[in-house]
Formats: sequence, structure tokens, C-alpha cells
Amino acid sequence: MAVAVEVGEAVRKKGDRLQATGDRPEVCDTPSFSGLSPVACRLSPSIASRLSPFLLLFASLTHAATHSLIISGLGGESGYEKRFAEQADRLAGAARQLTGTDADTTVLSGAGADRESVRRALRELAAKATADDAVIVTLIGHGSFDGVQYGLNLPGPDLTASELATLFDAIPARHQLIVNATSASGAALDAWKRDGRIVIAATKSGGERTATRFAEHWAAALTTLDADVNKDDIITVTEAYDYATRKVAESFKSEALLATEHSRMVGAEPARFQVSRMGTAARVTTDPAVNALYAERVRIERELDGVRERKPSLQADAYYDELDGVLVKLALLQRQIDAVQPEEVP
Amino acid sequence: MKRIMAAKRRKDRKVGKEKKFFLWPCDLCAFLRPFVFFLALASTTVAQAIDYDPRRPDELRACDDSYYRGRDAEARECYVRLLNGPYNSVTRAEAAWRIGDLQRANRFFREAVRSNQRLIHARVRWARLYLSTHQYADAQKLLGEALELSPNDVYGRLALAQVYADRFDGEAQRLIEALLQEDDGLFEAHLLAARMALEAGRLDDADRSLDRAAKAADSKLPLLELYSARATLDLARGRDSAAMLKDPWVMRALNYNAHYGAVFESLARFEVMRRRYAEATPLLRKAIEVQPTLWSAHADLGANLLRFGEIDAARVHLQKAYEGDPYSPTTVNTLRLLDRVNEIEVTSTRFALPSTATAPAAEVELRLRLNTREAAALQPYVMEIARDSIVAFSRRYGYRPTRPLTVELYPNHDDFAVRVAALPGIGLLGVTFGDLVVMDSPSGRATGDFHWGTTLWHEMAHVFTLSMTDNRIPRWLSEGISVFEEWRTGPTPGVVITPDVIVAMREQRLLPIADLDAGFIRPQYPNQVQVSYAQAGLVCLFIEQRWGFEQLPALVRQFERETTAREAIENTLKVPAETFDREFQAFLQQRYAGVLNRFDEWRRAAQAASKAIEAERWEDAIGAARTAIEIHPEDVADDSAYLLLALASDKSGRRNEAIDALLRYRRLGGWEPAALRQLAGWLVQANRTAEATEVLAAVNYADPLDAVQHRQLGEQWLAAGRPEESLREFQVLLALDSHDPATAHFGMARALRAQGDLVASRRHLLDSLETAPHYKPAQALLLQMIEERKE
Repeated sequence: MAVAVEVGEAVRKKGDRLQATGDRPEVCDTPSFSGLSPVACRLSPSIASRLSPFLLLFASLTHAATHSLIISGLGGESGYEKRFAEQADRLAGAARQLTGTDADTTVLSGAGADRESVRRALRELAAKATADDAVIVTLIGHGSFDGVQYGLNLPGPDLTASELATLFDAIPARHQLIVNATSASGAALDAWKRDGRIVIAATKSGGERTATRFAEHWAAALTTLDADVNKDDIITVTEAYDYATRKVAESFKSEALLATEHSRMVGAEPARFQVSRMGTAARVTTDPAVNALYAERVRIERELDGVRERKPSLQADAYYDELDGVLVKLALLQRQIDAVQPEEVP
Repeated sequence: MKRIMAAKRRKDRKVGKEKKFFLWPCDLCAFLRPFVFFLALASTTVAQAIDYDPRRPDELRACDDSYYRGRDAEARECYVRLLNGPYNSVTRAEAAWRIGDLQRANRFFREAVRSNQRLIHARVRWARLYLSTHQYADAQKLLGEALELSPNDVYGRLALAQVYADRFDGEAQRLIEALLQEDDGLFEAHLLAARMALEAGRLDDADRSLDRAAKAADSKLPLLELYSARATLDLARGRDSAAMLKDPWVMRALNYNAHYGAVFESLARFEVMRRRYAEATPLLRKAIEVQPTLWSAHADLGANLLRFGEIDAARVHLQKAYEGDPYSPTTVNTLRLLDRVNEIEVTSTRFALPSTATAPAAEVELRLRLNTREAAALQPYVMEIARDSIVAFSRRYGYRPTRPLTVELYPNHDDFAVRVAALPGIGLLGVTFGDLVVMDSPSGRATGDFHWGTTLWHEMAHVFTLSMTDNRIPRWLSEGISVFEEWRTGPTPGVVITPDVIVAMREQRLLPIADLDAGFIRPQYPNQVQVSYAQAGLVCLFIEQRWGFEQLPALVRQFERETTAREAIENTLKVPAETFDREFQAFLQQRYAGVLNRFDEWRRAAQAASKAIEAERWEDAIGAARTAIEIHPEDVADDSAYLLLALASDKSGRRNEAIDALLRYRRLGGWEPAALRQLAGWLVQANRTAEATEVLAAVNYADPLDAVQHRQLGEQWLAAGRPEESLREFQVLLALDSHDPATAHFGMARALRAQGDLVASRRHLLDSLETAPHYKPAQALLLQMIEERKE
């Protein structure tokens, strides 16, 4: 049986893989588990959009590191302090599983999340992350908006949206996700918008100043499989954002309260940006036999994408028959994969 | 246990603010509603077609005479002359008002008051102008100013009394009595007293007031409103609505003014007030026929047609009403609601009612009108409760609905309020208009605020009692039957009595049976409406236990003709009303002896349990909660001791006792969703899955919009070998949870497979895998199906 290699190990071999991706052709017709990268292969957007998350999983695993910085700001009172700290812990756990190493996950909270510490952490992140890396910055806590400027509430002096923008812009990573789950966060959204960066705000504007619920549900999205729409054990930004947004709305509705927050997201291709991996998706292997199975799976997934694309032009019976054929192939292949790479029993 | 505490916190929040909603699912339902609508329409009455104030400028009188006699062109010409003539501002304001130029009238009144700050009559009339445009707060302010300048001003006080009367404020009666004590010759005061007596069903009092009004009448003023009130009294005393055209008082009114549509409008309002909507429609049509510019009648007719689902016809009349009276918020609100009629999805089903000893088999049509956003999720449960209630009430009351029944649910409470009363912000949960039930959707309120299934059950009971008696049933009996049926046959059976009812019993504030209606119409103390609901329910319970259930339908049938509560009780139960009252009191004293005798001890124990919970002193909480339960075992309302006992028992490691406490709570009528979900979870952990499933399924009738719950129930029903129920839960999950269609489709695939529908099962399985191609359980089933196909 092939031995599954833990994610951390794979990441530690990052240098080798980066070397390998450099040798890849521009268009990867035959994706392989060990080498495909959407960046290195420069897939056309149409193809990329059809790639299954599994394909993207292996892509991201192999070419770059993901760095996560979680900042839990000033709570102001014990209840908030406790809640923010718990959320930061949950997000850190998800980030460690995603990045595969403690080293790429930084958490600043409580007194340790003052202005200077945050600035330092962001500068370190800018120094550490390469252009091919992915960076996730998550802000939890209270924010404020004075009509002109958003401020992240920290022990001592706050950091403004423009100060944070400068710090974010210094990060060279071409794939960035900034999740600002604080109140009034909508005020900073446009200021932080940039190519290659997805920005999420818990509120639609600076006018929504009530303590938010978004972080709680974002954390749930990253730490349970509830947000996993396509059941691939991978949570993408799209899945997590949709889940958290929906849960926030439901929570207000169930209490018959007017919603005091309406999240927003800007940035391209959130469905391709992974924020959490669980179960089998959190594992990788270097076994060539297993890699071959995964490569076959990617091929079948493309076939499935083709069937889905033809759906509007097919009669219902014909569509389901085609779908059936491809899905059976996929299920049989999965059975083979599971035989050589059984799921871990918790 | 968090769930139970969350439930407790929600209850804490609700107490005081919305307690009435929690106590009774329909605290101001069927019967109060017509009065509320009456309030909305009464503004036209307050607009006062006839000005009885002797201070009215003399130069207006000639024009008024033409106006009162319906010679509109002549009157208009006369008023225009005054408007453009050398008259003071009050005269010109009145003239502008009569020709419909309300803005100009407003300016002239303002001018008059500005020029003389001490003018009282002008302020009173200006207030009446505001009332005619439905601006009650401004009118009341102006009347306040007038009465500050002259506290004894008779016509200012009369106008204020009308405002109070329209709001069913007991102050109206006091004010009118005081005015008539000072001067028995006040025609308008007698008219108002008669109106209030008519509303309260005190027909003899109304008659006397009208006699006194006739004596007090000013020979220079028309008696149109007196004729109109007399005609209404005739109607109240049993004259056939269809024969009112020939009523002598109607004829007198029309002889005086052939275009006096208000006489028919008043009759129609009385029919609406006693919920005889079908009879109101031809009267309103007649009102419009004789007076096409009677905008309030157009509005009434539009509202009444809506009760019968005649949306297009209703819109025509509401639009006309709006064109003539653009100030009416009720008309505007209703028109806006109609603009969104396409948000409603209509489904219809027919089902058979089996024959009984007294009735042959029949078919009933049930229509649901649900918001498109939630129709798929709610439809199965709403249909089930409505259908079950029809079957149950048909059997119990021996009555078969003869027309289609309609149930409407509104996810936005203000839409519901506009639908029933044309005004937002009214504290209602459900309303029944004959064959139509309108209520809040479960999504219209916070989770746990009301049990929608019980509310619907309650309203459906009204459908029967109202239909059986052609709406003649008094409100106490219809509400009593509805509450009683909640307790006996509803989704949360159990006699639930809240502490304020116990307090009312202790303080002997319950009303004699003959006067019980007053507790609903003009309550004399806070919460009397809720207490009256409970009393009415207990009256029915008492009748059932003392004389047998069959006497309840017999009592209802007494009201197939006009009769009084006293006569109905005496005819059915063969005891005088006073004897009934005495025996009822004895019944209560016996049934609630524990809590009546030890009320303070019960309250102390309940409070001690609550405090001990907060301090996490679990043993103390258990002891105190047990004492509270022993004294008042039926208390499953706010902060029920059962919830506290369950929490403390679980925290003390006595899970089985916690389960027993919540099972007992539920058996007695407790339905708090969080507590029942907790109970279901504990039962699953205790391997009592069948009970868990049954408990969780019951939560759907309190909180049907929780996706997790439907997923759990779908799985549990499937495991229990109940694929039909399982399929329903997964279908609802699909409708509710757009985020995870794969799980719902997979569940449906398995449920359909269990039912033997392999074709549909395959479709849903493929739908599931289309969304989630790596969904391993679905993949496994797909491969199993392939294997089976090969075999």
C-alpha cells in the first residue's frame, strides 16, 4: 500500500517542486498529481473554471506555500475577548491543516495584537511570502469608521485602512485573501481591492457598526464539512463565503431581527482559492501508482465537466444517461483509490 | 443544555414585551379583527358628514341644506360662492372642505387659529378635518389644545370621545356619560352612546340612546345619522340583511337624501363587525350605487372582496378609493400589498371526508397561499395541519365545509397585518374570515415566539364554529372552542394556563358567562383579553367534563339563530347562567386547588429554581423545581420548572431524570423548540431513537425552517423504515438549504429507493453527484444500483 505523506512533509519539499514547475509546459494537457499548477501551466480561464476542486487541490499543494495571519483585535469586554480568541484558535487550526505547518500560521490576539505587533507580522509576511505563494489574512474583532477612515480596533492605537493597505500591498504573493470580519469592515473593502486579491468584508459599509457574527460562521465553514457543497473535503473561498453569509442571514432571521451586517466580497476566482482541507483532502502522496489514479480522476472530471456543459442541449433522459456513465467511472476509480489510500479512522 | 438555556433566555426576553403572543397563539384573532377594521374605517364617520356644533357659521347653513339633501351641484355652487366671498377663514375652510379641497381647508383653519390663538371652535373643526384624513395623532393634538383653552368645550370633548371610541378605549364611555350627565340634550353624544352599545351587543341600551337622541334632535339639522343607526339596530335585532332596502329607516334616509350611501355603508360595517362578510358585499355595492363618490365604501368593498380572494375586483375598488381619498394609509397599504401578489404561490388539494352517523361522505377543497420563497418548505406541514384539523373538526362538530377553505401565511408580519387590518404593526398572529385563515408564517417571527401549528389549529376551529353559525356565534364561545381544541386535539395537547390567569382566578376577576364577551372587546385591566381566552377555553373544558363533549357542538348550534349566551347555556345545559357560573367557579377551585392555595409558595419555588440555576447550584435547583411542579404541574409556559429541572438534572449527571422532565413537559403541552431538540438529542444518545424521531418531528410545527433538523429527521425516518416521511423531510431540506443540494438529493434518492421508485431514485442520485461528484456515500449507492441492474 502506498504510504500517504502528510501535508507538512510535502510543503517542506516545496523547493523541489518549485524547481519542477519551472519545467512545465505552458499548457498542461495531461495533468499529473505531482506537477500541475494553474499558475505555471497558465490554464485558460475557461478551462480553469471547469477544473474540479480536487484538481486545484493538487495544484496548490505542489507549487507554493500558503501563509496565514490571524489577527484578533481588541474585544473591549471579556465576552468579546473570549469569543474572538476562540474564533482565532479555530481559524488557526484550520490554517495549520491547510498550510501543513505551524510555521506558516501566525496568530496575534489579545495584548499581543497591538499596532506594532500587527505591523511587524505583516512585514514579516511580506518578507517571507514569494510571488507564487498564497496569503490569507483574517481580521477578527471590532472595527470603526469615522466617516472617512476605517480603523481596526487594537490595544493601544488602532490601524487605519490605508495603513493596512500599505502593509498588504507590500506582500508579493499573487494570491491573497483578506477576510475582514470586523464591524464597519465594508468601509475598507474598496481601499484594499487589488488584482490577485480577494477581499471579504463582514459588512456592506462603514455604517454597519454593530459587533458582527460573520467570523463565527466563517470559522465554522473552515472547521466543519458543512460548507463543503461538492463533498470533496476542500473548502474554497466561495463555499466558505456563501456558507457564512447564509448563516449570518439565518441567525438574524431566526431571531426576527433586522440584519445589522451584510457581507461583501470582491476579487477574482474565489472558487479556486482554497481555505481549508479536511479528511482525505488533507493528505498527499508521492506514490506514483496513486498519482496515476488521481491523474485519471482528473481526466474523468474533465469528462464530467463536458457532460455538464452539454446539459442545455440534451434531452433529460440522454443527459442523465451520459451523467450516469461518467459518474460510474468516477465512482469505480474512487473505489480503487480508496483501496490503496483508505480513509483515516478518527 | 445550552439549548435549554437559550430557550430560557429567549423566554426572559419575551416576557413583558410579547408575552401575549406566547400565552395564546391568536391573542387578538378572529373577533377583535373586525373591530380593528372598523377603527380603520371609522375615520370617515369621524369626518362627520353632519356638523352638529351650534357654533357653525350661519352663512353655511343654506349650502349645508343642499349638501345634506344630496343636491351636490347646487351645494357645490353655494360653497364655492362662500369660498370666494368676503367671509372669515373658518367659513371658507368649511366651504373648501365640503367641495373636497382639503389642502385649502387646512390653510384656512391654520390662518384662523393663527389670527386668534384663543379660537376653540376652529381648532375642534380643524381636528375633525385631520380625522377625515386619518391623521389621528394631529387631530388629538389639536383637540388637546382646544380643551386646554376650554376644558369644558362640549364639542371638543365629543370629538375626543369619538377618537377614543374608534380605538375601543374605555375612556370613550366615561367621557360620553360625563357629557350626557351635564347635558342630556346632546344629540351627537346619544348617537355615539348608541353606536358603542351596538358594538357591544347591548341592543336595548342602543335603542334607549336613540330614543333620547331623537328627543334631543335639532329640527334644523337632518336626522340621517339617527335613521342610519336605527336601521343598524333593526339589522342587529335580526332583520334580514337582504331586506334592509325596505327597512323604514333606510327609506326615510333615502327619502331625505337619495344619494345617502352612508346608510348602507353603516349596515355593511355592522355585518363586517359580526363577521358576516358575504352579507356586507351587496350592502356596500348598494352604497356605491346610490353614492358613487363614497370613497370609504369603495375601500370597504375592496377589503371585503379580498376576504373572498377576489383580488382583481378588490383592486378596482381600492384604486377608486385611493383616487378619492389618497390620505388613507389602509388603502395605500393594501394596494401596495396587492402589487406584490405574484410573490404568492397557490396550491390546491381536494380530499374526502368519510361519512359519519349524521353526515354523508364529502369532498373538501383546501387552498394554500404561501410566499414563493418558502412555499416548498412549508407546504407539506401546513397542508397536513390544515387537513388534519378539517378531518378532526368535521368529525367532532358534525359540520362539513361547503366552500373551499383557504390558508394564507405571510413571512413578513407587516404584510400579514396589512392583509388583515390594512395597517402594519398590529399585534395579531392569525385571523379567520369565514373560509379564509390568514396568519404569520413561522419565518415572520423569531424562533420560539409562537407555535404556528397550534395557531393554525386554533384558526381552523374558528372556520368551523363561524361557518356552523353563519358567524352568529359569540366571540367567547368561538375563542373558547378554539382554545379548548388546542388543548384537546391540537399539535401540542395539554391544558396550558399561565400565571396571570391563576392571579385572575385568585382575585376573582373572571367574568360571568353572560358577560364574557366584554373581556375581549373592551378589556378593563391589562391582560384581560388573554385571561378571557383562557377563561373561555376553561368554560369549554368544564362543559366537556361536566356534561360531556357532545354538549359543546350542541351549544355552538344554539347560535344558528340569534340568541344570547344566557339563553344558549340554559337551553343546552338546562341550568341557569348563574348556576353555571357557580359550578364553573367550583370546578376551577378544585382543578387548580394546588396552585390557588399555594400560589406564593409556587412562585417562590419557581424563582428559587431559576436563581439556583443561575448560580449553578444544581441540587438546590432540582429541589425547588420539583416543589414548583408539585404545586402547579401544568405549568409549561414561560420559565417552566420542567425546563429548569431538566437542566439541573442533566448537570448533576442524572440524564434519565432530565429526559423524564422534558418528556413530561412535552406531554403537558410544552413545545419550546430548543428544549425539544435537546430532548431528541438525549433520546438518541440513550438509544431511544423512535421517541427521538417523534419528538423532533413535532418541532416542525413550531420551527419548520431549520435545515439541520430536516436532515436529521430524514435520516431517522429512513432508519426507522418510514421512507414517505423521510422523503418529505429531504424534499423540504432541498427547498430550504440551497447551499447543500447534494445531501438532500441523496436523501431523496434513498427514500425513493426504499419506496421502490427506482427511476426517480436514480435521477436524484445523479442530481446529487452532479453537484458533488466525490460524494462517497452517493458513489457507493450508484455502484450498488449498477450491480443490481446487472443482476
